[in-house]
Amino acid sequence: MAALIFSPSYRAYDFGSEHPFSPVRVEMAFDLLAALGHHLSWEEPVPATREDILTVHSETYVRAVEALSTGQKVADPEALGLGTPDTPAFPGMDLAARTLVGGTLAGARLLSERRATRVLNFGGGLHHAQPARASGFCVYNDLAVAIRHLTSSGLWVSYLDIDVHHGDGVQAVFYADDKVQTISLHESGQYLFPGTGGIHELGEGMGRGLKINVPLEPFTEGESYLEIFEKIVPRALEAFGPHVLVVQAGADAHFDDPLADLALTTRTYERLFHRIVELADSLTEGRILFTLGGGYSPHAASRVWAILYLVVNDLPVPDAIPEVWSKRWASCLSGRNVATLHDADPAYPPQPHKDEISRRNRLVATRLLDALMPFWF
Amino acid sequence: MLVREIMTTAVITVAPDATLEEVCEIMHARNIRHLPVMEDGRLVGVITDRDVHGATSSLCLAPSQPKGLVRDAMSHPPTTAHPMDPVEDAARTMRSLKIGCLPVLDDDTLVGIITGIDLLDALLRLTGVDQPSGRLELRLADRPGEIAKLTAFISGRQLNIHSVLTYPEGSGGVRTVLRVNTLETRPLADALRKAGFEILWPPEKPWRR
Repeated sequence: MAALIFSPSYRAYDFGSEHPFSPVRVEMAFDLLAALGHHLSWEEPVPATREDILTVHSETYVRAVEALSTGQKVADPEALGLGTPDTPAFPGMDLAARTLVGGTLAGARLLSERRATRVLNFGGGLHHAQPARASGFCVYNDLAVAIRHLTSSGLWVSYLDIDVHHGDGVQAVFYADDKVQTISLHESGQYLFPGTGGIHELGEGMGRGLKINVPLEPFTEGESYLEIFEKIVPRALEAFGPHVLVVQAGADAHFDDPLADLALTTRTYERLFHRIVELADSLTEGRILFTLGGGYSPHAASRVWAILYLVVNDLPVPDAIPEVWSKRWASCLSGRNVATLHDADPAYPPQPHKDEISRRNRLVATRLLDALMPFWF
Repeated sequence: MLVREIMTTAVITVAPDATLEEVCEIMHARNIRHLPVMEDGRLVGVITDRDVHGATSSLCLAPSQPKGLVRDAMSHPPTTAHPMDPVEDAARTMRSLKIGCLPVLDDDTLVGIITGIDLLDALLRLTGVDQPSGRLELRLADRPGEIAKLTAFISGRQLNIHSVLTYPEGSGGVRTVLRVNTLETRPLADALRKAGFEILWPPEKPWRR
């Protein structure tokens, strides 16, 4: 059994009905699990304190977030990434963002105090937030605050980011840190936001060789994704030997995601989650903390995260979804009847460039391993 | 972009009477390859790691000794740049002479140096990613007002353009690459398509109706 962390007040982190980072996606996942007969109980976290936030973010930045939260004016908020179309300011933003950080931090505390081994925070994953800059829907970096807590408790952390976007904020915070390994698999920054995450970003100083980036070709399918994952991730984790795994489980590498271009199915995610849990079992005595992340197709994200819950709890993953769920969420599913947890197989017509895409991904993995070998032996 | 914006101003120089041994040590210690040679406050030459190798290699006809002098091995007269020169002029000079640096002179005073590495940095600043941003690639028609139409459209959505790179394709089109401060490049591309723009990236997904 895994500890579940959630708070109904997570939904206060809301940029408005037109914004893709909508709290409705998590509600749909909850409701999907309920429709499947799982009535969840969770631990409710308290919001992170200002001091918690300051372990990662700058005082100037926090002060600006606080000011914008109460409707005060801030000189040039755009320079801090705030008040932009991606990350608009809204009343109560500071507390809402601290609430999400509180969830991931509560999960980290469960691990550092050895009160749990598997933890799932049904929220969070704001991996783009930088120490002094909001970015890509992310105000405060819950993952970085949680990882900071773990390392100051003496634990070495491997951070695994399977969101389709590069985990640039977390990487930046720990770029020179030798207690934190970051591994991000994402659609190549040559094509997708935020533009970084190339194989030569390896960390600096004591952290060199511990920051690992796996940029994948657009339209990469599950088969190639899992092959590359297997080539890199287990060896990287073994080379570092972490005490804890922190996983950002964004669902936006799904083929139907409206903001990105990878082509995973919910079947790929199921295998991926099983494999990640297995790696934690063999390498960190099972200690693992999952957060959610991106994922902007409501039908895909809610199914991926329901599968995540089932896998983390060692529950069987059924196929059929009771009709009541599709009916209740019809407006978010654009009228589509979503009757199964698994996507159809095949889920989309064959892609003409599939082999070429797989070949390029293999080449990138080889070049990455060449760059990493000197640090591993 | 001007030479003075990309040049290194803390220039390390040597005298013509310095030995090749000393030059070699400075180059290794500072991890540099080019040293302007100064005599009585005037630039008289440039000594590069290649000059040193050429002078000291046992393969050359009359190899110089470690105590050999800079004045005998340096390249001169030096080719120089002015701080107000456009970067592309400096790049053209370096490319056509196939040399790795230009000392930068203002009147007769040495005020900086630019090397191939500084030009690579400039290229990265022009084309690279220095802020989290999404990428949009279009083909515009080669006629007045096309970029204005595009930027007006983007500004209408309150988005900030970090960089614009355009170059003629030769076939009458102008390839244009924008970096914009948004993760939502797909919805933006869809809207631009509806407005009649030819978008090359991101493409429409084959399976989305």
